[in-house]
Amino acid sequence: MFLTRFRVNTARPGARRLLSSPQAMHAAVMSSFPALLPTDTPTPDAPRVLWRLDQTARAEVMLYVVSPQQPDLTHLVEQAGWPAAAAASADPATPGWQSRPYSPFLDRLATGHRWAFRLTANPVHHARRKDGEPTKRTAHLTPLHQMGWLLERQEACGFRVLEKPDAQRLLPSGTTHTRQPHHGDRYELAVHDKRTLAFDKSRTAGAPIGRKPPVTLVIATFDGRLEVTDPRLLRRTLTQGIGKAKAYGCGLITLAPLGTAG
Amino acid sequence: MSVLTLRLAGPLQSWGASARFTRRTTESAPTKSGVIGMLAAAAGIERGDDDRLAPLAALKFGVRIDQPGTRLRDFHTAHHGISGKSMPLSERFYLADAVFVAALEGDRTLLTTLHTALGTPVYTPFLGRRSCPPSLPIELSLHDEGALMDILRQVPWQASAWYRRQYPGRDHIELTVLREADEVEQHTADVQRDQPLSFAAEHRRHALRTRVSDPVRIPRPPARQLPRHDPFDALDEESA
Repeated sequence: MFLTRFRVNTARPGARRLLSSPQAMHAAVMSSFPALLPTDTPTPDAPRVLWRLDQTARAEVMLYVVSPQQPDLTHLVEQAGWPAAAAASADPATPGWQSRPYSPFLDRLATGHRWAFRLTANPVHHARRKDGEPTKRTAHLTPLHQMGWLLERQEACGFRVLEKPDAQRLLPSGTTHTRQPHHGDRYELAVHDKRTLAFDKSRTAGAPIGRKPPVTLVIATFDGRLEVTDPRLLRRTLTQGIGKAKAYGCGLITLAPLGTAG
Repeated sequence: MSVLTLRLAGPLQSWGASARFTRRTTESAPTKSGVIGMLAAAAGIERGDDDRLAPLAALKFGVRIDQPGTRLRDFHTAHHGISGKSMPLSERFYLADAVFVAALEGDRTLLTTLHTALGTPVYTPFLGRRSCPPSLPIELSLHDEGALMDILRQVPWQASAWYRRQYPGRDHIELTVLREADEVEQHTADVQRDQPLSFAAEHRRHALRTRVSDPVRIPRPPARQLPRHDPFDALDEESA
């Protein structure tokens, strides 16, 4: 497994094309694996390519990729990076992106370790509006529901989101004012940057002429602290992702030492 | 002396000190009667209970204008819920998008009780009028030691992000504090009739209260930033 980081040069038209369409970014990420053919059928329950865009400032956009093979991002550097700087560095170790082996880190994970994490996900549930109607995939829209979505999955994902000390909570012991247990203010977990993506999926040959409805997704970014409860399950989560829309930059969870994340 | 600070922020607020009949005006900052009434409601003091209200009304009051907001006039038409008859037409004034920090100075035990009461209020707090719910938790902090003005100089600027962006680049911001006058200033200060005596439903009574305006300079808070998160920190140094 490899973890790769690439800084996007937001001033370039190529970068704007990629950033404006998760479909285009997905295609660009997937074509960085020479050994991975489009006709390959993915093995179910195997590590897959996951990616995420982190925007921390207006012109600071990072692309993170977790993949079974080492990627070759030359085409991304040419379209949306700094090709001249990458060529001038003349150091084969920094070809315009950084890639490091991920497996040693994954093997070191052990029960009880604590990490800061970040996850961009597509929190959804399946709802029906009235009896007898088939259920439909529906996005969670409020931070409270989005948190609930992640907290429901934490055990199966092999971690536990840490709870806040009482002094930092708005209400005592993570309950409502009527003493009902409630996750609202209970955990070291923040949801931010909720955004709605709407983009066109390119039409396949032979499809009827006319505009197809765009793909729409509601995605949100989670920042928090966790404790490893099951390293085997967490390894699976880190390499296979959480939730839906994994092709569109969702589901990649990354860990960082607790000290560095505020 | 202890000081309890409150954050009064909401889409609409309305603080009447001289509102009568069908023209319900608002002051440009929260009134003492409004804030004391809200605390009394949170602590479960009934309207006619003037004895329990007296220690609250004796607290020293000051308010800092963090975001002045804009005045909004509402031409109010309403009909009686049961008979369907039209109620008197009235004009109601509100402050839209305002944020204030109110501070109360006084006895520590009383302020601790009020601080806890705001966490689990008996009657829901509102910003001057029942139709104006707060948008953020009202209780801000309880300072065990300190004077009202010193605390209002320390509490960070509570204005919303969009308002703060209109004042970029400066390291300090000057805000106005409206507080009660000292003995020396008693005769030169403005007066306002909002010192609560009784909130009895049949007859509310208010006394005159002095009001002095003071500027305070407080440092700008740093812009909110995402926590730093670099997954490479967790990995070994050697590159692939």
